[in-house]
Amino acid sequence: MSMFTRKMRMLTAVVLESDRDEVVRSLLEKGVMEFVHIDSLPAEKMSKLSSHSSVVPKAVLSDMRVRIETLLKEGSLAIPELNADDAEAMSPIDADSCRRYLDKLSLSLQSIRDSQKAVNQQMNAAEELIRYSTDGRNSDYLDARVGINTHGSASDLRARLEQIGGIFLFDRKPFISLTLRRDSARVTDVMDKFGWTESTDPEAQRNAVAEATAEAKAIVEGCRARLAELSKEAQSRIREKADELIAMWKTVRLHELCEHVESFFSYTKNTTLFSGWVPADESDGIAKLIYSASSGRCIIEWTDADDVPREEVPVEMTSPRIFQPFERMVNNYGTPEYGSINPTPFTTVAYLCMFALMFADLGQGFILLLVGLAGKWLYKKNPTKPDGLISRYLCSLLIFLGPASMAGGLLFGSCFGFSLIPALWFNFDAVVEGEPVQGLINDIYDILGITIKFGIVIIYLGLLLNWVNLVRKKRFFELVFDKNGIVGGALYALGIWFAWGFVDSGYRTFPSSWFFAPALIACLVLVFIKCPVHFLILKVKGERTEGIGRLVIDTVMETLVEVLEIFSGLLSNTLSFMRVAGLGIAHASLMSAFYQMAAMPGNAAAQVLIMLLGNVLVIVLEGLSAGIQSLRLNYYEFFTKYFTGHGVAFEPVGLKSRIVAD
Amino acid sequence: MSRVSDYAFVNAKLRARIGMMHDRSLLDEMIKAPSLTEAAAKLDGTRHALLAEVYRSTGDLQQVELAILEEEIAAYREIERYLPDIPSRFISVLLEKVEGDNIKNAIRLWYSDAVRHHAISYRSSYIYKKRIVHGIDYDKVINASSYKEMAAAFRDTPYEDVLARFSSESLASTGLFPLEIELDHTWFRHLEEGIRDLSGSDRRIAEKIYSVDVDLKNILMIVRYSYSYHLRPEGLRHVMIPMGYIAGEARKTGALDAEDPMAILRSIVQRHYPQISEEIARIRRTADDLTTIDENNREIVLIEEYLSERRKKEYTRILAGNPFTIGVVLSYFFLRTTEDASIRAILSGKYYQWSEDKIREALGL
Repeated sequence: MSMFTRKMRMLTAVVLESDRDEVVRSLLEKGVMEFVHIDSLPAEKMSKLSSHSSVVPKAVLSDMRVRIETLLKEGSLAIPELNADDAEAMSPIDADSCRRYLDKLSLSLQSIRDSQKAVNQQMNAAEELIRYSTDGRNSDYLDARVGINTHGSASDLRARLEQIGGIFLFDRKPFISLTLRRDSARVTDVMDKFGWTESTDPEAQRNAVAEATAEAKAIVEGCRARLAELSKEAQSRIREKADELIAMWKTVRLHELCEHVESFFSYTKNTTLFSGWVPADESDGIAKLIYSASSGRCIIEWTDADDVPREEVPVEMTSPRIFQPFERMVNNYGTPEYGSINPTPFTTVAYLCMFALMFADLGQGFILLLVGLAGKWLYKKNPTKPDGLISRYLCSLLIFLGPASMAGGLLFGSCFGFSLIPALWFNFDAVVEGEPVQGLINDIYDILGITIKFGIVIIYLGLLLNWVNLVRKKRFFELVFDKNGIVGGALYALGIWFAWGFVDSGYRTFPSSWFFAPALIACLVLVFIKCPVHFLILKVKGERTEGIGRLVIDTVMETLVEVLEIFSGLLSNTLSFMRVAGLGIAHASLMSAFYQMAAMPGNAAAQVLIMLLGNVLVIVLEGLSAGIQSLRLNYYEFFTKYFTGHGVAFEPVGLKSRIVAD
Repeated sequence: MSRVSDYAFVNAKLRARIGMMHDRSLLDEMIKAPSLTEAAAKLDGTRHALLAEVYRSTGDLQQVELAILEEEIAAYREIERYLPDIPSRFISVLLEKVEGDNIKNAIRLWYSDAVRHHAISYRSSYIYKKRIVHGIDYDKVINASSYKEMAAAFRDTPYEDVLARFSSESLASTGLFPLEIELDHTWFRHLEEGIRDLSGSDRRIAEKIYSVDVDLKNILMIVRYSYSYHLRPEGLRHVMIPMGYIAGEARKTGALDAEDPMAILRSIVQRHYPQISEEIARIRRTADDLTTIDENNREIVLIEEYLSERRKKEYTRILAGNPFTIGVVLSYFFLRTTEDASIRAILSGKYYQWSEDKIREALGL
């Protein structure tokens, strides 16, 4: 792991046209290069280059891949991954035949859906009859007839009646016909043609509706089973073609990736030119790879990242795999500038400390850990399972947060809200409840004091990291004059010293010392001269500057705003860390409240139940709050000190790259 | 209770939902899908995943449409619960629109069976039969053997009076159009009353949205029914929504009695809605030649597109404004129903094997 973003180099290569495919394949297998368009050549040279022309356009390939993926998902099949062997075995693509194959499969699925539709309609019709029959409205809406036909065949009669819709029991005599009253005229019409004679058997008449309803229920059951069967059939029709679909996906995906890579290429009559960013530690490997793929018939040139404007260099952070959940937090905020400090390890430590202070409980932390591990295991077992409320990411995070919370619990002697274990530092719950505690921490104010000190450490760490970044970026002006630079840090230190002295005196007197006034004046002078110095620097560089009048106004305004910002900003940043104490106190208070509630019924079972529910509630609500507040403190109080987020993420193209679509 | 406490929760909830609504890429992917099965499968993993499941288990697009309607009604009901009394009643008025459409569908089925003597068979299953706002016995509507029996299903509802104005004979001769127009007008009257009951900024927002809506719909009515269908003044007066600025001006100027109503209203429309003045100017009142009808239809589509764009802009503006008003609720329903309608249209387009372009055209994309 590097403390800073990964060092990059830009490769520009020329290979023979005949070696192009092999080079592309090798680069895809390696998957460490982010391609860029060649646009730095002089115009007359650029005009001699032609751009890439596709055999099958990338958009067509992307659409086809998405189509195969849709079908794979429809068959509950996982989307495959490409590997080096697939790249090696890459075959030419016949887009038309692929399309035809997919169309055929899609058509066969559609025919199953059409069958399902017919079954569903039959089921709906039967369900309507059942509904009227069972909710006592049979006489209003149903038309039951019991009788026989005196001419024509019974099967013909039945076929004609089925066109109208209803339940027809023709495998016994007298026949039963149960239809909707709204269709009565049509039914009568048909029956008259077949000489229907109504039965005079009162029992048959009485039982007709019940018998027909039973038949309708059987039809509904049959339809349900058939629908499920057809649904499975659709799935198995895809699964039968799984091998072909997966092979097709691989071919399409490989061609799509090649098209993507080659879209960055430029061509002369016999050669191919391409360029891209590669991590510096991979540059030798890449050079060897291109030499080997082109059998040495290539020219490679390297450009160091330092020779390119910093904002154009892609950024990659190299944090160990274990830090991935926290790297994602960093990426959600933004990408650091090239060459700056990798915020991930600092975020990891800061986040976990904050969470541990806010949610300090050995038992509840253990539950978080168990949930995280169980979730991980379940997702690993079902890789196609979509993320639920407890997502994959949350599970990875819980594996860290659980032990952090447990460590907090050990420090403060808390386990499921009880003081079951001796505190390594001080008994948090006892302090919150106002019980006498021996040691340095006696009341809630002491806890607030700890979190403020913790905040100061975090803010100073942020400022320190910013200074390191500024030195690396050679931005010395900002290093000295910026509100997050040395002057800001010095003013903050003076403020802390002053506030500490005031608090130490019992809020009675302000502290005084020989260094305070000169240091404060020196800092304020630095803030005041920021604009003039910047003006002078621009003048020396020969860049355009505003007039003197504007300089005076800017100096006065900026001094006022900057001083205000430094004091109010850093003060609010520091006080913001009191939320850490707040959440910790809320956690202890809630658990104490549940503890008291549990004692009320005087019944062991109720006691256990209340404590159980209380713990669940606290784990969910407090865990969520602590997680969000820790994130907020990192983003607003810590990152704003040193993390600009102006970088561009490094996105190499390889066989396992994320989906590349225009 | 303050406006903040009235709307804080619903505002946060709906904004989160709006944030999770899908961008155009879902619709694009669905349009690109070569078959209905593949288009429906795109809904997996989205907030419409249930629809994909319904289609997968029944293969029945109408069943999917019923599921969309059920979700829509559930959404209205949910939001109603989160709001205080008066705004909640307004949401109920909005839900009456859904009820009105459901009633129309049920009456159409009855009409098909009882008047046109076409068996409706399983089709009644696709009618939403539970209570939406008022207690209507939809089974009674569908199964009624006479108009009187059908109208009785609406007893003690606001639709009772509307149904009482028609008869089996009148519907047999004119079709359902006048009845449906009356049902629409009933809803608009309720909407007007609902807006009047709202207070302060809620009323201003609702008035602004619906007055423009009604005006543009009235303009479209005049263009469509007077120019394309040559409806007589009495008929035209009947179809016009009796609210809004344009309807008022039409009454005042007697435009609907004129041979060419738009000639009288043109300057008023141009003053109030200059963005559609070109379309209005291009509409011609000539013989029934197909070219003219076709050209007029094109202008109508442009006016509809303008209406849709204007709505979108208005709702976007509301979302950027004061969060503690009914505006965020109206915006949410607009975005939601627009998305639902688009999904419904795409799936139908796929069912009828329309081309991508035709579906896009139908959606105004």
